[in-house]
Amino acid sequence: MHISEGVLSAPVLLAGAVLSLVGLTLGLKKIKNEDIPKVAVLSSAFFVASLIHIPIGPTSAHLVLNGLVGMLLGWSAFPSIFVSLVLQAILFQFGGLTTLGVNTFSMAMPGVLFYYIFRKMIHKGKNAAFIGGFLGGALAILLGTIFISVSLIETEKSFTGVAATLLTMHLPIAFIEGIITGFVVIYLKKVKPEALG
Amino acid sequence: MKKIFFFTLIFLFVYNTIAEAHKVSAYAYREGDKVIGECYFVDGSPCKNSVVEVYDSKGKKILQTTTDEKGKFNFKTQETGELKIVIPAGEGHRAEYTLESAKSEKKEVKKQEPIKEVEKKQTPSVNSEEIKQIIDEAMDAKLQGIRNEIMDLRKKMDKINIRDIIGGIGYIFGVWGLIMLIKRRKNAS
Repeated sequence: MHISEGVLSAPVLLAGAVLSLVGLTLGLKKIKNEDIPKVAVLSSAFFVASLIHIPIGPTSAHLVLNGLVGMLLGWSAFPSIFVSLVLQAILFQFGGLTTLGVNTFSMAMPGVLFYYIFRKMIHKGKNAAFIGGFLGGALAILLGTIFISVSLIETEKSFTGVAATLLTMHLPIAFIEGIITGFVVIYLKKVKPEALG
Repeated sequence: MKKIFFFTLIFLFVYNTIAEAHKVSAYAYREGDKVIGECYFVDGSPCKNSVVEVYDSKGKKILQTTTDEKGKFNFKTQETGELKIVIPAGEGHRAEYTLESAKSEKKEVKKQEPIKEVEKKQTPSVNSEEIKQIIDEAMDAKLQGIRNEIMDLRKKMDKINIRDIIGGIGYIFGVWGLIMLIKRRKNAS
């Protein structure tokens, strides 16, 4: 789920950059100093997650963990994911520097959105917290694929075609990440409840 | 505790997978008026049945072809200038390779001309065109091994190594440390 350099047109890139910039400033303002280690750890988790491939049929998709980052950080997911994407672009040539805006927004925004939707569930009992984490983690990926498909409308022409391929490819990923996020949420709830903002 | 948990998670990931992702790379070389190339994903698996577009130095599309089951492609062109090969692999992935312009190799022939004339008298049946063809064939056969080796090296270079991963994590912590420092200074002043 990284859009490469040279695929998108300038207006799409610009729109992505502006939207991400808004998210970034909001996120940086909201970070408290004592939260920064948490943000850094999640940045590196996101950074490494993209290297893990899960074979699905003829092709394979990699983990994203944008749901986990979003559920634990809220708006701070923007700077967290942005830093990882910059390093992925520089070190691994995943995505590209010009597409940073679009990629950041389509990964971080779903996480932020579901953070606000499922935040209350996370603070309830253990079962509710797991379900909240699962849904947040899984849905953030699926919404991310929709955002990516939207930004590819111009290049790929058939929106439903791309969206359908990406969605089916990422269904198993969404399931796995839902479980990961669910477990991380209940684990943190038990050992360090203040980490769940 | 939380940190330990995440670090074990990260290390499990790193050791479980020889890291790969959906980056697409392409490589091509010339052989006379033929251009031969290959397209592959970062883990070395071929990029099958994908469209290959070729542009000249002015950015004009001159031809289009597709890769075969092994990710290989070839085409003929008279264009000796710089060629840009673009492979849009779908879902937002794309590879690009610039093939340098083919420079004329005629200078060497002129130097050898006096000797050749003597040879020509002795063996008039072999003209310079045929000699060139024979040399080309012999060279191609010899160079094939080296070409394969270059291809393998390229694939290896494109693979992600653990140094990059560890380095990247280090950078992330460094960047966030800096942000923390700046924030703390702002709060103090």
